[in-house]
Amino acid sequence: MSRFLSNKRLILLLLGVILLVALISYSLRDRDNVNFAERLIKDTVGAGQSLFSGPAHFVTGIFDNVDSLLNTYKENQHLKGRLEEFATVQAEVTDLRSENEQLKEIVGKEADLRDYNPVQATVIARNPDQWEEKIILNRGSSDGVEPDMAVMTAKGLIGKVSLVTKTTSTVELISTQNPNYRVSAMVLGGAEGVFGLIEGYDAERRELLLKRIDAQIELEVGQQVVSSGLGGIFPKGLIIGEITEVTIDEFGLTKLAYVKPSADFTLLNHVMIADRAMPDGDEAEAVEEEGS
Amino acid sequence: MIRYLLPALALALFFLEPVFGLFSPLQLDGVYYYIVPRFLLMYLIFVTVYYDAKRAMIYGLFFGLLYDVFFIDIIGLYSFLYPLMCLIASYIVKSVQRNLVVATLLTLVLTALFEFMLYLFFSAISLAALPAEAFFISRLLPTMIANSVFLVMLGWAFKLIIDARLIERENSKA
Repeated sequence: MSRFLSNKRLILLLLGVILLVALISYSLRDRDNVNFAERLIKDTVGAGQSLFSGPAHFVTGIFDNVDSLLNTYKENQHLKGRLEEFATVQAEVTDLRSENEQLKEIVGKEADLRDYNPVQATVIARNPDQWEEKIILNRGSSDGVEPDMAVMTAKGLIGKVSLVTKTTSTVELISTQNPNYRVSAMVLGGAEGVFGLIEGYDAERRELLLKRIDAQIELEVGQQVVSSGLGGIFPKGLIIGEITEVTIDEFGLTKLAYVKPSADFTLLNHVMIADRAMPDGDEAEAVEEEGS
Repeated sequence: MIRYLLPALALALFFLEPVFGLFSPLQLDGVYYYIVPRFLLMYLIFVTVYYDAKRAMIYGLFFGLLYDVFFIDIIGLYSFLYPLMCLIASYIVKSVQRNLVVATLLTLVLTALFEFMLYLFFSAISLAALPAEAFFISRLLPTMIANSVFLVMLGWAFKLIIDARLIERENSKA
Protein backbone atom coordinates (compact mmCIF):
# COMPACT_ATOMS: atom_id res chain seq x y z
CA MET A 1 0.00 0.00 0.00
CA SER A 2 2.79 2.40 0.91
CA ARG A 3 4.47 1.67 -2.40
CA PHE A 4 1.25 2.35 -4.17
CA LEU A 5 0.86 5.67 -2.38
CA SER A 6 4.40 6.69 -3.13
CA ASN A 7 3.69 6.50 -6.81
CA LYS A 8 2.88 10.15 -7.18
CA ARG A 9 2.03 9.98 -10.82
CA LEU A 10 -0.58 7.28 -10.37
CA ILE A 11 -2.27 9.23 -7.59
CA LEU A 12 -2.31 12.35 -9.72
CA LEU A 13 -3.84 10.41 -12.58
CA LEU A 14 -6.53 8.93 -10.33
CA LEU A 15 -7.34 12.34 -8.88
CA GLY A 16 -7.50 13.72 -12.39
CA VAL A 17 -9.97 11.05 -13.50
CA ILE A 18 -12.17 11.65 -10.45
CA LEU A 19 -12.14 15.39 -11.07
CA LEU A 20 -12.92 14.80 -14.73
CA VAL A 21 -15.92 12.60 -14.04
CA ALA A 22 -17.21 15.11 -11.47
CA LEU A 23 -16.83 18.02 -13.88
CA ILE A 24 -18.44 16.20 -16.79
CA SER A 25 -21.42 15.11 -14.75
CA TYR A 26 -21.73 18.62 -13.33
CA SER A 27 -21.77 20.26 -16.74
CA LEU A 28 -24.05 17.64 -18.29
CA ARG A 29 -26.61 18.09 -15.54
CA ASP A 30 -26.78 21.86 -15.52
CA ARG A 31 -26.43 22.94 -19.11
CA ASP A 32 -28.86 25.82 -19.28
CA ASN A 33 -27.02 28.06 -16.88
CA VAL A 34 -23.51 29.27 -17.35
CA ASN A 35 -21.60 30.50 -14.34
CA PHE A 36 -19.52 33.65 -14.18
CA ALA A 37 -16.18 32.07 -15.12
CA GLU A 38 -17.69 30.33 -18.14
CA ARG A 39 -19.33 33.54 -19.25
CA LEU A 40 -16.02 35.37 -18.99
CA ILE A 41 -14.22 32.73 -21.05
CA LYS A 42 -16.99 32.68 -23.65
CA ASP A 43 -16.91 36.45 -24.10
CA THR A 44 -13.12 36.60 -24.33
CA VAL A 45 -12.78 33.70 -26.74
CA GLY A 46 -15.70 35.06 -28.73
CA ALA A 47 -13.96 38.41 -29.17
CA GLY A 48 -10.80 36.67 -30.37
CA GLN A 49 -12.78 34.37 -32.63
CA SER A 50 -14.48 37.34 -34.33
CA LEU A 51 -11.05 38.57 -35.46
CA PHE A 52 -10.46 35.29 -37.27
CA SER A 53 -13.92 34.67 -38.67
CA GLY A 54 -14.16 38.08 -40.37
CA PRO A 55 -11.55 37.36 -43.06
CA ALA A 56 -12.88 33.81 -43.43
CA HIS A 57 -16.34 35.11 -44.28
CA PHE A 58 -14.79 37.48 -46.77
CA VAL A 59 -13.08 34.59 -48.57
CA THR A 60 -16.17 32.36 -48.57
CA GLY A 61 -18.11 35.37 -49.83
CA ILE A 62 -15.86 35.56 -52.88
CA PHE A 63 -16.35 31.84 -53.59
CA ASP A 64 -20.10 32.25 -53.22
CA ASN A 65 -20.06 35.14 -55.65
CA VAL A 66 -18.12 33.20 -58.26
CA ASP A 67 -20.44 30.25 -57.78
CA SER A 68 -23.56 32.34 -58.28
CA LEU A 69 -22.00 34.01 -61.30
CA LEU A 70 -21.56 30.61 -62.93
CA ASN A 71 -25.19 29.75 -62.31
CA THR A 72 -26.52 33.05 -63.59
CA TYR A 73 -27.96 31.82 -66.88
CA LYS A 74 -29.82 28.87 -65.41
CA GLU A 75 -31.15 30.97 -62.57
CA ASN A 76 -32.25 33.70 -64.89
CA GLN A 77 -34.28 31.25 -66.99
CA HIS A 78 -35.93 29.89 -63.90
CA LEU A 79 -36.69 33.34 -62.49
CA LYS A 80 -38.18 34.57 -65.76
CA GLY A 81 -40.62 31.68 -65.56
CA ARG A 82 -41.69 32.69 -62.08
CA LEU A 83 -41.93 36.41 -62.79
CA GLU A 84 -45.49 36.49 -64.06
CA GLU A 85 -46.68 34.38 -61.20
CA PHE A 86 -44.87 36.73 -58.83
CA ALA A 87 -46.79 39.82 -59.93
CA THR A 88 -50.17 38.28 -59.16
CA VAL A 89 -48.99 36.87 -55.84
CA GLN A 90 -47.55 40.27 -54.91
CA ALA A 91 -50.86 42.00 -55.64
CA GLU A 92 -52.70 39.42 -53.61
CA VAL A 93 -50.32 39.79 -50.67
CA THR A 94 -50.72 43.57 -50.51
CA ASP A 95 -54.45 43.19 -50.70
CA LEU A 96 -54.55 40.57 -47.95
CA ARG A 97 -52.17 42.53 -45.76
CA SER A 98 -54.25 45.68 -45.86
CA GLU A 99 -57.40 43.69 -45.28
CA ASN A 100 -55.78 41.94 -42.33
CA GLU A 101 -54.79 45.25 -40.79
CA GLN A 102 -58.27 46.66 -41.21
CA LEU A 103 -59.80 43.60 -39.62
CA LYS A 104 -57.35 43.79 -36.75
CA GLU A 105 -58.31 47.40 -36.20
CA ILE A 106 -61.97 46.50 -36.11
CA VAL A 107 -61.37 43.74 -33.56
CA GLY A 108 -59.00 45.95 -31.61
CA LYS A 109 -56.21 43.41 -31.57
CA GLU A 110 -52.78 44.94 -31.27
CA ALA A 111 -50.18 42.35 -30.44
CA ASP A 112 -49.68 39.45 -32.77
CA LEU A 113 -47.69 36.27 -32.38
CA ARG A 114 -46.27 36.90 -35.81
CA ASP A 115 -44.56 40.20 -35.06
CA TYR A 116 -40.89 40.12 -34.18
CA ASN A 117 -37.87 42.39 -34.22
CA PRO A 118 -35.04 40.79 -36.12
CA VAL A 119 -31.57 41.00 -34.57
CA GLN A 120 -28.94 40.61 -37.26
CA ALA A 121 -26.02 38.44 -36.23
CA THR A 122 -22.89 36.96 -37.75
CA VAL A 123 -21.76 33.40 -37.17
CA ILE A 124 -18.32 33.62 -35.56
CA ALA A 125 -17.71 29.92 -35.13
CA ARG A 126 -19.18 26.53 -35.68
CA ASN A 127 -18.42 23.85 -33.19
CA PRO A 128 -15.42 22.35 -35.02
CA ASP A 129 -15.87 18.81 -33.78
CA GLN A 130 -19.44 18.81 -35.14
CA TRP A 131 -20.77 16.20 -32.78
CA GLU A 132 -23.31 18.63 -31.54
CA GLU A 133 -24.86 20.91 -34.10
CA LYS A 134 -23.97 24.27 -32.61
CA ILE A 135 -22.99 27.66 -33.92
CA ILE A 136 -21.85 30.72 -32.02
CA LEU A 137 -23.10 34.20 -32.89
CA ASN A 138 -21.63 37.60 -32.17
CA ARG A 139 -24.74 38.94 -30.43
CA GLY A 140 -25.57 38.43 -26.78
CA SER A 141 -27.69 39.62 -23.91
CA SER A 142 -26.50 43.20 -24.41
CA ASP A 143 -28.30 43.14 -27.78
CA GLY A 144 -31.47 41.77 -26.28
CA VAL A 145 -30.91 38.10 -27.11
CA GLU A 146 -32.51 35.64 -24.71
CA PRO A 147 -32.39 31.85 -24.45
CA ASP A 148 -34.87 29.91 -26.63
CA MET A 149 -35.24 32.65 -29.22
CA ALA A 150 -35.69 31.49 -32.79
CA VAL A 151 -32.74 31.80 -35.18
CA MET A 152 -33.22 31.79 -38.93
CA THR A 153 -31.76 32.62 -42.29
CA ALA A 154 -33.65 34.15 -45.17
CA LYS A 155 -34.66 30.62 -46.22
CA GLY A 156 -36.13 29.51 -42.92
CA LEU A 157 -35.69 28.45 -39.35
CA ILE A 158 -32.33 26.98 -38.43
CA GLY A 159 -32.36 26.66 -34.65
CA LYS A 160 -32.82 28.27 -31.31
CA VAL A 161 -30.59 30.06 -28.85
CA SER A 162 -29.41 27.72 -26.12
CA LEU A 163 -26.96 29.84 -24.12
CA VAL A 164 -26.43 33.58 -23.91
CA THR A 165 -23.52 35.57 -22.55
CA LYS A 166 -23.00 39.30 -22.74
CA THR A 167 -21.61 39.40 -26.27
CA THR A 168 -22.08 35.90 -27.67
CA SER A 169 -24.89 33.43 -27.98
CA THR A 170 -24.79 29.71 -28.68
CA VAL A 171 -27.36 28.37 -31.10
CA GLU A 172 -28.38 24.74 -31.18
CA LEU A 173 -29.33 23.93 -34.75
CA ILE A 174 -32.61 22.22 -35.49
CA SER A 175 -30.69 19.28 -36.95
CA THR A 176 -29.47 18.26 -33.50
CA GLN A 177 -29.81 14.77 -32.07
CA ASN A 178 -30.66 16.20 -28.67
CA PRO A 179 -33.84 14.36 -27.56
CA ASN A 180 -35.04 17.34 -25.50
CA TYR A 181 -35.11 19.67 -28.47
CA ARG A 182 -38.65 20.52 -29.57
CA VAL A 183 -40.21 23.17 -31.75
CA SER A 184 -43.93 23.66 -31.79
CA ALA A 185 -44.97 23.64 -35.44
CA MET A 186 -47.98 23.91 -37.68
CA VAL A 187 -48.82 22.58 -41.14
CA LEU A 188 -50.26 25.16 -43.50
CA GLY A 189 -53.14 24.39 -45.82
CA GLY A 190 -56.66 23.31 -45.14
CA ALA A 191 -59.16 25.35 -43.18
CA GLU A 192 -57.28 25.26 -39.90
CA GLY A 193 -53.65 24.83 -39.10
CA VAL A 194 -52.58 21.33 -38.10
CA PHE A 195 -50.40 21.39 -34.99
CA GLY A 196 -47.50 19.11 -34.23
CA LEU A 197 -44.05 19.08 -32.72
CA ILE A 198 -40.77 19.06 -34.56
CA GLU A 199 -38.99 16.44 -32.53
CA GLY A 200 -35.85 14.77 -33.71
CA TYR A 201 -33.84 14.63 -36.88
CA ASP A 202 -33.23 11.76 -39.23
CA ALA A 203 -29.53 12.10 -39.97
CA GLU A 204 -29.58 9.69 -42.89
CA ARG A 205 -32.46 11.35 -44.73
CA ARG A 206 -31.39 14.76 -43.42
CA GLU A 207 -34.99 15.53 -42.63
CA LEU A 208 -36.84 16.67 -39.53
CA LEU A 209 -39.52 14.60 -37.84
CA LEU A 210 -42.89 16.24 -37.23
CA LYS A 211 -44.60 14.19 -34.55
CA ARG A 212 -47.83 14.13 -32.55
CA ILE A 213 -50.18 14.95 -35.37
CA ASP A 214 -53.75 13.82 -34.89
CA ALA A 215 -54.25 10.53 -36.76
CA GLN A 216 -57.60 11.72 -38.19
CA ILE A 217 -56.01 14.53 -40.13
CA GLU A 218 -55.03 14.02 -43.72
CA LEU A 219 -51.69 15.46 -44.69
CA GLU A 220 -50.24 15.79 -48.14
CA VAL A 221 -46.72 15.69 -49.42
CA GLY A 222 -45.55 19.19 -50.30
CA GLN A 223 -47.46 21.05 -47.61
CA GLN A 224 -45.48 23.73 -45.83
CA VAL A 225 -44.57 23.53 -42.16
CA VAL A 226 -44.12 26.73 -40.14
CA SER A 227 -43.57 27.53 -36.48
CA SER A 228 -46.85 27.83 -34.60
CA GLY A 229 -45.85 30.54 -32.14
CA LEU A 230 -47.21 28.49 -29.26
CA GLY A 231 -43.81 27.25 -28.13
CA GLY A 232 -42.65 29.89 -25.68
CA ILE A 233 -41.06 32.83 -27.42
CA PHE A 234 -40.96 31.72 -31.04
CA PRO A 235 -42.87 34.01 -33.37
CA LYS A 236 -45.58 32.47 -35.49
CA GLY A 237 -45.12 31.69 -39.16
CA LEU A 238 -41.37 31.12 -39.53
CA ILE A 239 -40.87 28.69 -42.37
CA ILE A 240 -39.41 25.37 -41.29
CA GLY A 241 -39.78 23.18 -44.36
CA GLU A 242 -41.91 21.00 -46.55
CA ILE A 243 -43.50 17.61 -45.92
CA THR A 244 -41.91 14.82 -47.95
CA GLU A 245 -43.52 11.74 -46.46
CA VAL A 246 -46.34 10.95 -44.05
CA THR A 247 -46.36 7.77 -41.96
CA ILE A 248 -47.74 6.48 -38.68
CA ASP A 249 -45.46 6.81 -35.66
CA GLU A 250 -43.99 3.84 -33.80
CA PHE A 251 -46.97 3.48 -31.43
CA GLY A 252 -49.54 3.75 -34.19
CA LEU A 253 -51.51 6.43 -32.37
CA THR A 254 -50.43 9.62 -34.07
CA LYS A 255 -49.04 10.54 -37.44
CA LEU A 256 -45.45 11.32 -38.20
CA ALA A 257 -44.30 13.43 -41.11
CA TYR A 258 -40.85 13.84 -42.55
CA VAL A 259 -40.09 17.50 -43.16
CA LYS A 260 -37.35 18.63 -45.47
CA PRO A 261 -35.86 21.79 -43.93
CA SER A 262 -35.99 24.77 -46.25
CA ALA A 263 -32.87 26.33 -44.75
CA ASP A 264 -29.40 25.10 -45.55
CA PHE A 265 -27.30 24.28 -42.49
CA THR A 266 -23.95 24.29 -44.21
CA LEU A 267 -21.83 27.40 -44.70
CA LEU A 268 -23.92 29.56 -42.41
CA ASN A 269 -22.81 33.14 -42.44
CA HIS A 270 -25.37 35.79 -41.52
CA VAL A 271 -28.42 34.85 -39.52
CA MET A 272 -31.33 36.59 -37.84
CA ILE A 273 -32.46 36.17 -34.26
CA ALA A 274 -36.22 36.69 -33.89
CA ASP A 275 -37.10 38.74 -30.83
CA ARG A 276 -40.86 38.32 -30.58
CA ALA A 277 -42.68 41.61 -30.12
CA MET A 278 -45.50 40.16 -28.05
CA PRO A 279 -44.47 39.63 -24.42
CA ASP A 280 -44.51 36.06 -23.28
CA GLY A 281 -46.66 35.47 -20.27
CA ASP A 282 -48.18 32.47 -18.58
CA GLU A 283 -48.69 30.75 -21.87
CA ALA A 284 -44.94 30.74 -22.49
CA GLU A 285 -44.27 29.13 -19.13
CA ALA A 286 -46.84 26.46 -19.81
CA VAL A 287 -45.12 25.49 -23.03
CA GLU A 288 -41.68 25.66 -21.49
CA GLU A 289 -42.72 22.86 -19.16
CA GLU A 290 -43.57 20.79 -22.14
CA GLY A 291 -40.21 21.61 -23.66
CA SER A 292 -38.09 20.68 -20.65
CA MET B 1 11.02 36.49 -28.89
CA ILE B 2 10.71 32.91 -30.10
CA ARG B 3 9.84 32.08 -26.52
CA TYR B 4 6.36 33.49 -27.07
CA LEU B 5 6.00 32.03 -30.52
CA LEU B 6 5.09 28.54 -29.28
CA PRO B 7 1.99 29.55 -27.28
CA ALA B 8 1.09 32.20 -29.87
CA LEU B 9 1.02 29.56 -32.60
CA ALA B 10 -1.14 27.33 -30.41
CA LEU B 11 -3.55 30.23 -29.90
CA ALA B 12 -3.69 30.96 -33.62
CA LEU B 13 -4.39 27.30 -34.42
CA PHE B 14 -7.08 27.22 -31.73
CA PHE B 15 -8.86 30.12 -33.43
CA LEU B 16 -8.33 28.72 -36.93
CA GLU B 17 -10.00 25.38 -36.20
CA PRO B 18 -13.60 26.66 -36.06
CA VAL B 19 -12.97 28.85 -39.10
CA PHE B 20 -12.13 25.74 -41.13
CA GLY B 21 -15.01 24.01 -39.37
CA LEU B 22 -17.36 26.43 -41.14
CA PHE B 23 -16.63 24.67 -44.45
CA SER B 24 -17.79 21.31 -43.20
CA PRO B 25 -19.78 19.18 -43.92
CA LEU B 26 -18.82 18.67 -47.53
CA GLN B 27 -21.43 17.25 -49.84
CA LEU B 28 -20.31 14.94 -52.62
CA ASP B 29 -22.87 13.00 -54.65
CA GLY B 30 -25.49 13.48 -51.97
CA VAL B 31 -23.27 12.03 -49.26
CA TYR B 32 -22.10 14.31 -46.48
CA TYR B 33 -18.53 14.12 -45.27
CA TYR B 34 -17.55 15.73 -41.99
CA ILE B 35 -14.10 17.18 -41.78
CA VAL B 36 -12.93 18.05 -38.32
CA PRO B 37 -9.80 20.20 -38.15
CA ARG B 38 -7.43 19.00 -35.43
CA PHE B 39 -4.61 21.49 -35.94
CA LEU B 40 -4.07 22.22 -32.26
CA LEU B 41 -3.90 18.56 -31.24
CA MET B 42 -1.35 17.80 -33.95
CA TYR B 43 0.72 20.81 -32.94
CA LEU B 44 0.62 19.77 -29.27
CA ILE B 45 1.88 16.29 -30.17
CA PHE B 46 4.71 17.84 -32.16
CA VAL B 47 5.60 19.98 -29.14
CA THR B 48 5.59 16.80 -27.04
CA VAL B 49 7.84 14.95 -29.43
CA TYR B 50 10.37 17.70 -30.10
CA TYR B 51 10.23 20.00 -27.13
CA ASP B 52 8.76 19.22 -23.75
CA ALA B 53 5.93 16.86 -22.79
CA LYS B 54 5.10 18.76 -19.61
CA ARG B 55 4.80 22.05 -21.44
CA ALA B 56 2.61 20.45 -24.09
CA MET B 57 0.32 19.01 -21.43
CA ILE B 58 -0.08 22.41 -19.78
CA TYR B 59 -0.99 23.96 -23.14
CA GLY B 60 -3.35 21.05 -23.74
CA LEU B 61 -5.07 21.60 -20.41
CA PHE B 62 -5.45 25.32 -21.02
CA PHE B 63 -6.73 25.17 -24.58
CA GLY B 64 -8.80 22.09 -23.81
CA LEU B 65 -10.57 24.07 -21.11
CA LEU B 66 -11.23 26.96 -23.50
CA TYR B 67 -12.55 24.50 -26.07
CA ASP B 68 -14.82 22.82 -23.53
CA VAL B 69 -16.31 26.05 -22.28
CA PHE B 70 -16.65 27.86 -25.58
CA PHE B 71 -17.82 25.11 -27.90
CA ILE B 72 -19.20 22.03 -26.26
CA ASP B 73 -20.31 23.10 -22.77
CA ILE B 74 -19.10 19.84 -21.30
CA ILE B 75 -16.21 20.80 -19.08
CA GLY B 76 -13.46 18.24 -18.71
CA LEU B 77 -13.67 16.46 -22.04
CA TYR B 78 -11.04 18.14 -24.19
CA SER B 79 -9.12 19.40 -21.17
CA PHE B 80 -8.61 15.75 -20.27
CA LEU B 81 -8.13 14.26 -23.74
CA TYR B 82 -5.55 16.80 -24.99
CA PRO B 83 -3.08 16.18 -22.12
CA LEU B 84 -3.80 12.44 -22.31
CA MET B 85 -2.77 12.35 -25.97
CA CYS B 86 0.40 14.27 -25.11
CA LEU B 87 1.14 11.80 -22.32
CA ILE B 88 0.73 8.82 -24.63
CA ALA B 89 2.93 10.51 -27.23
CA SER B 90 5.65 11.17 -24.65
CA TYR B 91 5.71 7.47 -23.68
CA ILE B 92 5.82 6.25 -27.25
CA VAL B 93 8.47 8.71 -28.35
CA LYS B 94 10.91 7.36 -25.77
CA SER B 95 11.16 4.07 -27.62
CA VAL B 96 11.21 5.24 -31.24
CA GLN B 97 13.48 7.28 -33.39
CA ARG B 98 12.73 10.98 -33.52
CA ASN B 99 12.41 12.07 -37.10
CA LEU B 100 9.79 13.93 -39.06
CA VAL B 101 8.22 10.85 -40.67
CA VAL B 102 7.85 9.04 -37.37
CA ALA B 103 6.47 12.17 -35.70
CA THR B 104 3.93 12.65 -38.49
CA LEU B 105 2.78 9.04 -38.36
CA LEU B 106 2.56 9.09 -34.58
CA THR B 107 0.54 12.30 -34.69
CA LEU B 108 -1.91 10.90 -37.22
CA VAL B 109 -2.40 7.68 -35.26
CA LEU B 110 -3.07 9.66 -32.09
CA THR B 111 -5.47 12.00 -33.90
CA ALA B 112 -7.45 9.01 -35.11
CA LEU B 113 -7.45 7.61 -31.58
CA PHE B 114 -8.66 10.99 -30.29
CA GLU B 115 -11.52 11.06 -32.79
CA PHE B 116 -12.50 7.54 -31.87
CA MET B 117 -12.52 8.30 -28.15
CA LEU B 118 -14.75 11.32 -28.78
CA TYR B 119 -17.07 9.13 -30.82
CA LEU B 120 -17.30 6.65 -27.95
CA PHE B 121 -17.95 9.45 -25.47
CA PHE B 122 -20.71 11.12 -27.48
CA SER B 123 -22.31 7.75 -28.20
CA ALA B 124 -22.21 7.02 -24.46
CA ILE B 125 -24.05 10.21 -23.56
CA SER B 126 -26.33 9.55 -26.57
CA LEU B 127 -25.75 12.85 -28.31
CA ALA B 128 -24.66 10.95 -31.40
CA ALA B 129 -26.54 8.04 -32.87
CA LEU B 130 -24.16 6.88 -35.52
CA PRO B 131 -23.25 3.29 -36.36
CA ALA B 132 -19.51 2.60 -36.23
CA GLU B 133 -19.35 1.92 -39.95
CA ALA B 134 -20.93 5.28 -40.82
CA PHE B 135 -18.55 6.95 -38.40
CA PHE B 136 -15.53 5.53 -40.20
CA ILE B 137 -16.74 6.50 -43.65
CA SER B 138 -18.40 9.85 -43.11
CA ARG B 139 -16.21 11.22 -40.35
CA LEU B 140 -12.95 9.48 -39.55
CA LEU B 141 -11.77 8.93 -43.11
CA PRO B 142 -12.30 12.46 -44.49
CA THR B 143 -11.03 13.97 -41.25
CA MET B 144 -7.84 11.94 -41.38
CA ILE B 145 -7.27 12.71 -45.05
CA ALA B 146 -7.69 16.46 -44.54
CA ASN B 147 -5.58 16.52 -41.41
CA SER B 148 -2.77 14.50 -42.94
CA VAL B 149 -2.67 16.91 -45.88
CA PHE B 150 -2.40 19.76 -43.40
CA LEU B 151 0.29 18.01 -41.38
CA VAL B 152 2.39 17.02 -44.38
CA MET B 153 2.26 20.62 -45.56
CA LEU B 154 2.99 22.27 -42.23
CA GLY B 155 4.67 19.62 -40.07
CA TRP B 156 8.13 20.81 -41.05
CA ALA B 157 7.16 24.38 -40.12
CA PHE B 158 6.12 23.22 -36.65
CA LYS B 159 9.45 21.48 -36.31
CA LEU B 160 11.31 24.54 -37.52
CA ILE B 161 9.73 26.80 -34.92
CA ILE B 162 10.22 24.30 -32.11
CA ASP B 163 13.87 23.81 -33.12
CA ALA B 164 14.38 27.57 -33.12
CA ARG B 165 12.99 27.71 -29.61
CA LEU B 166 15.27 24.84 -28.51
CA ILE B 167 18.30 26.66 -29.83
CA GLU B 168 17.24 29.82 -28.08
CA ARG B 169 16.85 27.94 -24.82
CA GLU B 170 20.31 26.39 -25.15
CA ASN B 171 21.81 29.82 -25.80
CA SER B 172 20.15 31.39 -22.81
CA LYS B 173 21.47 28.59 -20.60
CA ALA B 174 25.01 28.96 -21.80
